[in-house]
Amino acid sequence: MTRFLALRFARALLSIVLVVTFAFVVLRLSGDPALTIMSPEAPPEAIAAFRKAWGLDQPIWLQYLHYFGAIVHGELGVSMRDGRSALTVVTERIPATLMITIPALMLKIALGIPAGITAALHRNTLRDRLLMAGAVAGFTVPSFVLGLLLVLVFAVRLGWLPSGGDERWSSAVLPVLTLGLGGAGILARFTRSAMLEVLGQPYIRTASAKGVPWRLVVRHHALPNAAIPTVTVVGFMIGSLIAGAVVVESVFSWPGVGRLLVVAVANRDLAVVQCILLLVSATMVMANLIVDLLYGVLDPRLRVSTAAAH
Amino acid sequence: MPRIGRRGAIGLAASAAALPRFAIAQADTRPVVTVAVQKISNSNTLDCLREQSNVGTRMAAMYTERLIDLNYQSKLEPVPGLATEWRRIDDRTVEFTLRPNVRMHNGDLFSAEDVAASFSPQRMFGDTRPSVQGKTLPLSGNIVTMTASKDLPREIPPVARRLWPAFDRVEIVNAQTVRFVNATPDVTIEGRASARGSDIVSGRAFSEAASWLDYARKPVGTGPYRIVEFKPDQSLTLEAHDAYWGGRPPIRQLRLVEVPEVPSRVNGLLAGEFQFACDIPPDQIADIEKNPAFEVQGSLVPNHRLTTFDKHHPQLADPRIRLAMAHAIDRQSIVESLWAGRTRIPAGLQWEFYGRMFVTGWTVPEFDQQKARALVKAAGYKGDAIPYRLLNNYYTNQVFNAQALVEMWRAVGLNVQIEMKENWTQVFERTPTRAVRDWSNSAVFNDPVSSIVSQHGPNGEQQQYGEWENAEMNRLSLELETSTDWDRRHAIFARLLQICEREDPAYTVLHQNAVFTAKRKDIRWKVAPSFAMDFRAQNWGA
Repeated sequence: MTRFLALRFARALLSIVLVVTFAFVVLRLSGDPALTIMSPEAPPEAIAAFRKAWGLDQPIWLQYLHYFGAIVHGELGVSMRDGRSALTVVTERIPATLMITIPALMLKIALGIPAGITAALHRNTLRDRLLMAGAVAGFTVPSFVLGLLLVLVFAVRLGWLPSGGDERWSSAVLPVLTLGLGGAGILARFTRSAMLEVLGQPYIRTASAKGVPWRLVVRHHALPNAAIPTVTVVGFMIGSLIAGAVVVESVFSWPGVGRLLVVAVANRDLAVVQCILLLVSATMVMANLIVDLLYGVLDPRLRVSTAAAH
Repeated sequence: MPRIGRRGAIGLAASAAALPRFAIAQADTRPVVTVAVQKISNSNTLDCLREQSNVGTRMAAMYTERLIDLNYQSKLEPVPGLATEWRRIDDRTVEFTLRPNVRMHNGDLFSAEDVAASFSPQRMFGDTRPSVQGKTLPLSGNIVTMTASKDLPREIPPVARRLWPAFDRVEIVNAQTVRFVNATPDVTIEGRASARGSDIVSGRAFSEAASWLDYARKPVGTGPYRIVEFKPDQSLTLEAHDAYWGGRPPIRQLRLVEVPEVPSRVNGLLAGEFQFACDIPPDQIADIEKNPAFEVQGSLVPNHRLTTFDKHHPQLADPRIRLAMAHAIDRQSIVESLWAGRTRIPAGLQWEFYGRMFVTGWTVPEFDQQKARALVKAAGYKGDAIPYRLLNNYYTNQVFNAQALVEMWRAVGLNVQIEMKENWTQVFERTPTRAVRDWSNSAVFNDPVSSIVSQHGPNGEQQQYGEWENAEMNRLSLELETSTDWDRRHAIFARLLQICEREDPAYTVLHQNAVFTAKRKDIRWKVAPSFAMDFRAQNWGA
């Protein structure tokens, strides 16, 4: 088990290092932060001074070494536009993002999983078709279209909810709905597929043949076995809690990490972008790790096979 | 007559003491106004030198003011601001009489000390000297950039020197009188004093700020509204400065919120959450005005859109090709199709508010395809590609405009190829493929040195990036900056237009830029001919 965990952690760490390295190289090759932050009208001397002040005049490999050295010491750099620690700039935006992504995740689970199960249990009926049509619509309509549609109906026409901002609790409703409905559609599709696959298995037929009531067959045999692919998708959704709302935050002027990322990339605020990517990749990797561990809990065969392999 | 006992009298007195305050608080029925903008500040600061962008200009005059103000309800002509009057002492010196009894946002009385502090090396010029005209702006010293220290960021002195290249010192004559002394003769000292960048802040607040960034996030000025809170990339909250010298501000709280998406700004306006939505593209105007409760006010601003040339590109080395490109452009079509006719074609790189320096009769090269074809033929152009480096709508309608231009150039035999670029670094990159790009030029005060010299002269961006230079232009630019002979200056400016727009084209002007602000129709408010928004009493009624 220790070896299993150590391997998973090492892989997780490598993933984070690769993501950060990739972001570091791409950001520096795709534009000069000095010119972007200072504006093209800034005098060349000021731009040169800016580059020097931020170490951008050094070779890229040296900048990379300095950056990683700093990370090892727990320093994620200073925002070029803000003058404060990049970590502070990013962490103060996280609560706002979680305020919409966590309820949205709950909405996805609350709507998506029951819808998927219901559709599977009523395969090829009108109910199945209606639910799946809704699910397909949910995840194929781009979030900015869905968001604007909801604003048009609930804010402009009915005047029930604010169209954006974060001043009131009700401001979160439309962003949560936008995020939640799209994700619920994805989850419903996955759950339905997983359930259909399980329902076709011999052990389901056996259980039914033994006279076990159908609801018990579903609860004790179908649902646990169908949970693994669903948990995988939910794991990805948990991984994207921090930066999964870039478009929605822009549409609703929600001051979260997603909007910060857009602004930071546009301005080549390197430390902030790298800090966000580091946090996002760490969250994603951690979520995957938890999902891996959950597999063992949900399906004892996986624990046994892992133990046998080691 | 009812009798009032001792206890009753005490109670009545207590009520009397409490009631008026409550009544006063309740009486403040002034509205809270929310303005949705695409961006509040590009630099994440509110310092007038660090934040020189158009978006930063929008609300700046509401919290800091200059000695000479601009008439935002007319044609931006100079009007008394924090100075009630000014007079020339000699060709290098202007004396300002300061407005008395002006209360700053921190409660201090505005004085000559604040002017001196605002124009001090610590706030504006660093260790630069007033000897930079015609030369590269010098920078030295251990000054850092945008950190939480007290030091002046390195980019501030060059910006300050661009506006005040030969500023020497402020002399305090007495508490209500100051003199601006220039190192060289300059007839534009008054104009420079009215430009953004010459804003006056509290000397005490500046020196007491824990860091430069703390000051720059909350400058203490004299404007009608004081800064309550600035959340970078999110919102700016101002509240009425009731001791404002120009009268009680009409709005209790003025809030700018950053809403990056156009549809979100429009929806918020229609839903009643915003009273104003700024940065509206021309193609949205008709849709908004379908609702009779709303209107879109357009305003021409002192900023022109240009196509800029790199004369060192082999296909553009012959000035006849650049002139042909200028003659090939049907500007009226661009104005009508992309701007719904709500802007205009200006008379070259100049504005009417130049006053006596305006060159009457000057025009942009006329749309004449025959002339353009003749020039192309005379230059011996063989059809080689002319690259056009283009950003994705950094300017309003930029991509549509570029596509239209390419077709217009194709019609006269020029093979211009668009190359999409992601950022300005790629646009400016000094490689053999740099030839044509987009730009816009502003006039920050009412004299051509603020535009044609500042942007195309020896210290202008085009020359600094090595796209274009002209010896006569450089010689005349310096003379225009220092001459005190108005007739001579006018002749020089006319000659500069001739050089830059006809003989050796550095650029060609396409159209004047305009800003569009959507608002509730029942609010009496008039958009200014500027990026600035005016929320003072004389421009408000609901």
